[in-house]
Amino acid sequence: MENILECQNLVKFYPKCLALNSVNLTVPKGKIVGLLGPNGSGKSTLIKLANDLIQPTSGKILIAGMEPGIETKKIVSYLPERTYLNDWMTVNDMIGFFGDFYQDFNKSKAYDMLARLGVNPSLRLKTMSKGTKEKVQLILVMSREAQLYLLDEPIGGVDPAARDYILDTIIGNYNPEATVIISTHLIADVEKILDEVIFINQGNIVLVSTVDDIRENENKSVDALFREVFKC
Amino acid sequence: MLRKLLRYEIKATSRTFLPMYALLIVFALINKFFMAVNSSYLKIPQAIAMSVFVFIIIGICVMTLVVTIQRFNKNLLTDEGYLSFTLPVRVHSHIDSKMIVTLMWSVLSVLVSLISIFVMSVNETTILSFQRFMNELMAAFSQIGPSGYVLILEAVLLVIFGILSSTVEIYAAITVGNMSSKHKLLTGIGAYLGFGVIQQIIVSIILSSSDKSITRYFNLLETAGEFAQVQAAETVLLVLIAYMVIVGVALYFFTEWMLRKKLNLE
Repeated sequence: MENILECQNLVKFYPKCLALNSVNLTVPKGKIVGLLGPNGSGKSTLIKLANDLIQPTSGKILIAGMEPGIETKKIVSYLPERTYLNDWMTVNDMIGFFGDFYQDFNKSKAYDMLARLGVNPSLRLKTMSKGTKEKVQLILVMSREAQLYLLDEPIGGVDPAARDYILDTIIGNYNPEATVIISTHLIADVEKILDEVIFINQGNIVLVSTVDDIRENENKSVDALFREVFKC
Repeated sequence: MLRKLLRYEIKATSRTFLPMYALLIVFALINKFFMAVNSSYLKIPQAIAMSVFVFIIIGICVMTLVVTIQRFNKNLLTDEGYLSFTLPVRVHSHIDSKMIVTLMWSVLSVLVSLISIFVMSVNETTILSFQRFMNELMAAFSQIGPSGYVLILEAVLLVIFGILSSTVEIYAAITVGNMSSKHKLLTGIGAYLGFGVIQQIIVSIILSSSDKSITRYFNLLETAGEFAQVQAAETVLLVLIAYMVIVGVALYFFTEWMLRKKLNLE
């Protein structure tokens, strides 16, 4: 199985709106992929489908050849756009929690990253700022040794300095067999770490390409191409 | 995985319950002290301590309900749901763990309340009257024979299944409420009332289709012997248990299906 993620005629209807319109897509192993599109283009819907948080209206989504379920949840590390941490717990508690439920969770990695970003692990999450919570959440997600990381707007709420560190950990920390899919519209920031990009608009895949191809063929950056494709 | 979920569920809820239990015991002891002193100067603080004690017991009952609703809603259907539902755990394990912990706290709340009342009121006269009561109870049991124990067992089962079934009913209502994008609370309350109405309709259909044979049966019982009456009580309890189990199981599978297939977190 070469593809970690595969969509076959994937359709998702919400009441009164079509979120994904018969999407066909394959994402290979070992890539860092940007899932790029304007607000409401279907990025989060696609990621939620991959996480079994919503069910497709029709078509299929496969992770390592399996439909989303317990087995895929063991190998997918998901960062939602929401802060989902139990706010009465301390960071230490959360690390224990992740360690309990995810066999691929690497505690020492998590403590290393916390120290680097200066987060005190004995603090309760309730007392933390929004940005710090997002850092903690990202650290938890990236400390898993997963096969597929699905990061929904991972850097939206953190300061630019932490942003660079986070992007460095994303490329530095994961195993070369794993795939990272980053959904964002902060393209300029993530562009330098991406291998491939997927442009999505109004539920349709507009473009799938490697970043090198875009630079060579179009002679422009991903950010510039994005602005051109999605010009309002 | 259920064991791990249970551990975190207990951890999450015990920070609410344990302080309340401790407070209750403290006030039981304060009341006991006032009763022992029984001074006319202390009548007002004694009255205050007593009403606080009663309020704490009421508070514990209310809290059991609130925590039941809040844990299910917050942990599964708000932002925390993004984590809960991406754990490699089956949906029914989430429901199971929350249901079991609710049952645990309900039973513990009753026990702690009873113990605190006992601690507060224990003295020679109450012990004597308690002993007398127990003796009479035992005498009554020996008169009825083994079916007395069957009755007790059935009553205990009825309480357990009653708690579980009403918990699941609340879960089902919250889940239905969550499907509405605008009026979650209102839809939830509506669903809860709706479940009640549906149950009432079904029960009244069954009762009316039985063509008054049930009424006749109970009329006959009034003149029947003690043995027949005890047996009738056993049957009634058994029917009630079966009813609770059927309602609970139906709503359990409904909730599980909704969470699995119709979930749409904001």
